[in-house]
Amino acid sequence: MNTVKQLSRGRFLLDRGASLPLLLPATLLVLVFLVGPFGYMAYTAMTDLSYANPDQNGAFIGLDNFRQLVRNDPVFWDSFWLTIRFVVASVTVEFALGFALAWLIWRFIERQRLLTTLLLVPMMLAPVAVGLIWRLLLQGDFGMVSYYLRAVGLLSQQSAVFSTPYLVMPTIIAIDVWQWTPFVTLIILAGLMSLPKAPFEAATMDGAGPWRQFIDIMLPLLRPIIALVLLLRGIDAFKEFDKVFILTGGGPGTVSELLSIYAYRVNFKNWNLGYGATVAFMVYLVVLILCSIFYKAVYWKSPVGKV
Amino acid sequence: MNKSWKILAIGILACVLVIALTPYLWILLTSFKGRLDILSPDPRWFFTPTFSNYPEVFLGKDYLPLVLNSLIISISSTVLSIGIGVPAAYVFARTDFAGKEDLFFFFLTTRMAPPISIAVPLFMFFTALGLTDTIYAVVIAHTSFNLSLVVWMMRGFFAEIPREIDEAAMMDGRSKLGAFVRVVVPMAAPGMAATAVLCFILSWNEFLYAFILVAFEGRPLTVGIPGLITPHGTLWGQVAAVAVVATLPILVFTFLVQKHLVRGLTFGAVKG
Amino acid sequence: MLANRLTRGTLGAAMIAVALGTTSVVSQVSTAAAWSLEEAAAPYKGATIRTIGEALPPLEAMKKLAPEFEKRTGIKVEIEMYEHSEAVNKVMLDLNSRRGRYDFIIQPHRELGKFVTNGHLGSLEKYLDSAELRDPQFKPEDQLYPRLWKEISWYDGKVYGFPFTALSMYMWYRSDLLSDEKEKEGFKARYGYDLAPAQDWKQYRDIAEWFTRPDQRLYGTALQGKRHEALWYEWLNFLYSFGGDMLDTKSGSECGPVIVNSPQAIAATEYYKSLKAFSPPDTLNYFWDDVMALMQQGEVAQLIMWNDSTYAVAVDESASTVVGKMGFDIVPQGEGGKVAQVEGWSYLVPTSSKNKEAAYLFIQWMMDYDQQLNQHLNGGATARPDVYSSEEVQKLPYSRASMDSNAVARSKPTVPLSGEMTDILVRELSSYLADEKTAKEALDRSAQDISTLLGSCAPMKYPVE
Repeated sequence: MNTVKQLSRGRFLLDRGASLPLLLPATLLVLVFLVGPFGYMAYTAMTDLSYANPDQNGAFIGLDNFRQLVRNDPVFWDSFWLTIRFVVASVTVEFALGFALAWLIWRFIERQRLLTTLLLVPMMLAPVAVGLIWRLLLQGDFGMVSYYLRAVGLLSQQSAVFSTPYLVMPTIIAIDVWQWTPFVTLIILAGLMSLPKAPFEAATMDGAGPWRQFIDIMLPLLRPIIALVLLLRGIDAFKEFDKVFILTGGGPGTVSELLSIYAYRVNFKNWNLGYGATVAFMVYLVVLILCSIFYKAVYWKSPVGKV
Repeated sequence: MNKSWKILAIGILACVLVIALTPYLWILLTSFKGRLDILSPDPRWFFTPTFSNYPEVFLGKDYLPLVLNSLIISISSTVLSIGIGVPAAYVFARTDFAGKEDLFFFFLTTRMAPPISIAVPLFMFFTALGLTDTIYAVVIAHTSFNLSLVVWMMRGFFAEIPREIDEAAMMDGRSKLGAFVRVVVPMAAPGMAATAVLCFILSWNEFLYAFILVAFEGRPLTVGIPGLITPHGTLWGQVAAVAVVATLPILVFTFLVQKHLVRGLTFGAVKG
Repeated sequence: MLANRLTRGTLGAAMIAVALGTTSVVSQVSTAAAWSLEEAAAPYKGATIRTIGEALPPLEAMKKLAPEFEKRTGIKVEIEMYEHSEAVNKVMLDLNSRRGRYDFIIQPHRELGKFVTNGHLGSLEKYLDSAELRDPQFKPEDQLYPRLWKEISWYDGKVYGFPFTALSMYMWYRSDLLSDEKEKEGFKARYGYDLAPAQDWKQYRDIAEWFTRPDQRLYGTALQGKRHEALWYEWLNFLYSFGGDMLDTKSGSECGPVIVNSPQAIAATEYYKSLKAFSPPDTLNYFWDDVMALMQQGEVAQLIMWNDSTYAVAVDESASTVVGKMGFDIVPQGEGGKVAQVEGWSYLVPTSSKNKEAAYLFIQWMMDYDQQLNQHLNGGATARPDVYSSEEVQKLPYSRASMDSNAVARSKPTVPLSGEMTDILVRELSSYLADEKTAKEALDRSAQDISTLLGSCAPMKYPVE
């Protein structure tokens, strides 16, 4: 209350006049270099622009591309639903495993710094490198992981993961889990560390067992952080490109053709940029909706997340 | 009873650690293997190491300048992101104005579009400005994308500094700018360091924008990696050598800022 | 030429006298012999020309050769090397932004239609007609394989470039296994004829079956089955050899009826998949890189691969365990007779180029016998028959297969939308290999999609109900 009053009296360090020059460079940079290209993309989505076909020279066609995409493009919709399944499966597994690991570390390990740092290695590597590393490890003839999968009988001698269509998506999900579970662990661990002690002590006095305490106290207290983790992972998983592109290129057939792979093909293989921009715009819309939920749910309502 | 649970927990965590680290360890080993050891059908954990992959790719194939390019791009974009983003974050933490939260959210939305989709528009846009093929283009692109991270993270750090500190500095008769630079910035320094390191990592690891916007002579390491995969047989030893060099600084930095990483990775929502 | 020197205005009277003397001596010999690279390049001295191509041995060889050109002409040459699709994408962006970073480009010929119809390339006729620029010794119509040159570097009856590499695919086999007495005996007992490099597809499959011994880590063949252009390139050999094609046209720049779902095409595709049984388990994950590694490791008896990769398996002992054990031949014959699918990278000069003449001079110089020989011996694939007949090249174990394939090279569509055609076929072929549909379903769908894509000029010759 005190600070608000001072602020209104203008004695505070920042007044309106001082704010503007501080805020302007960042806002301008983002406006020019991100919103600019984005606007160009949005406009392109309403044209027939193609770098391949000389007959499509960028004429304005309104919402034709969107109509085509929604009504007439089974490949887009297959990719869309595949992407949704990928996001749900990988984020669920990452969350379950990540939560369990965080709990184990919180409950049993006192000196956590080295352990958590080492756990972070997979997610800190360049995405290009991650794709190549797994290509080498899972190669069917000389891949180290392929060899041990066969040795322990998880993979038959006469098969290989990326040549067995029904194993391809589970494998890609497993690699995503390898890469991103530590992210969940780290953040949930931070949440666990910041839990207040009092509610648990009171519950113990009331005779509530560990399971009840977990369900009734811990989960509700962690809810904002859980929502945050799920949404951040969800947004990233929705955009997944590098690993799948290097590992399978969307195949065999179309079993791993995620939306981003489809967008790549339309833009960079077929150079059908008007339509490619339409695909991109739809992806952006979906992520925007996810993001808005994230912002409302986490930043405005939660005591932990409030900044 | 409790003790045996603890042993079990440590056992599980040890297994997890092995799974998390083995792939990287394998790449490290691969970077010291000859082609025949790499292509051997049964994994070779012990082998006669060769030290030729590193000189072959970094000197023979001229990949050494790429390390320098990576450094130049990452450091410049980090400095710029911090220099431009920190003042903005400070405004968000200290003032109220109509539409503030909307503007704040707007910064976040800049990270939503999949890079692959905005790549061609970005190229055309930078070409129209005459910036493609210069190092400025990719530095500006990385700076713009990292700004949201800086603004979101630093707002949280500033919010933790009591407003009375600003006020006391003002009372001492310092100028506004002086108070900000000499009093507030030092207090936020650890958070700024962590933010800077994250910006550095993101820029260092980035591939697509760097590929599209940078000229051949200015390309960073990530852009150089695919050039080693050829129909004449991929030189996995060299790929591994580049991958190791490309990840070492990241590992060191991760260790240094581990304490603040949580905040960074959640856009400031969770205090680690 | 003289006028040119005079107008530069920096020469003293004595220098002019010397120049006059030289010119008169030269003109006495013959006007044709008067051409020299140094003089032709003089107006462009000090210029820098920049190019881009795929990071492969022939480009590396060119990089090593360029300093000699630089020394003779004073024109500096900068070469950018990228991975295959990176090199293609960089060029597409550069051409469409018309900023002219590249003075000439080295690109695969499937891109030609896109470049030409969108006005990104100029014909090279005016340079070939120019007395100043054209080396009278350079006679591409006589010195290059005519069909290859027309296929790789021409579009719609006009010349746009010269072949950087003339690539074709042919059969690689393990000559040591095929000439082994015990193998010969066993093979004859089983199949009733002598074991020898396959001449037709039945023999090819028999040999593949015979040598498939997973317990000995040996496979009959290896398909490049990943969802990747490599799959399409490999499949074309089967398609052409079985008498099929994608479009019913005479040249790559024409549009015409879609015949990709003809009975021949279906037969070729089914045959192609039948070889999966004799391929290593991870065959749907392979592209050129993986089959190359398997061959170098001696785990495959025969397969169909690129000529420019041959060097690394047949000659390079640091990478290959089968040096001296390899044989090469044209792909087996089917109903379509002796055919080969050809692909090539070309030197092209974009309309946005800022140094077209200097670029032309460099390209022309690179097409000389000496440079072509050097490049070829370092892992390139020349389009000059006289290079093939040189003694050193004749010694390479794959020269005859290369020449035979070059002689029967087939054209493929290079129309502007050919890239998307390929993308459709890769998707459908990959679906078929992954057991998602039958060969007929996959090819019918391809035909429908390609016909829709190309429009009224490409009706389906084999309609689908």
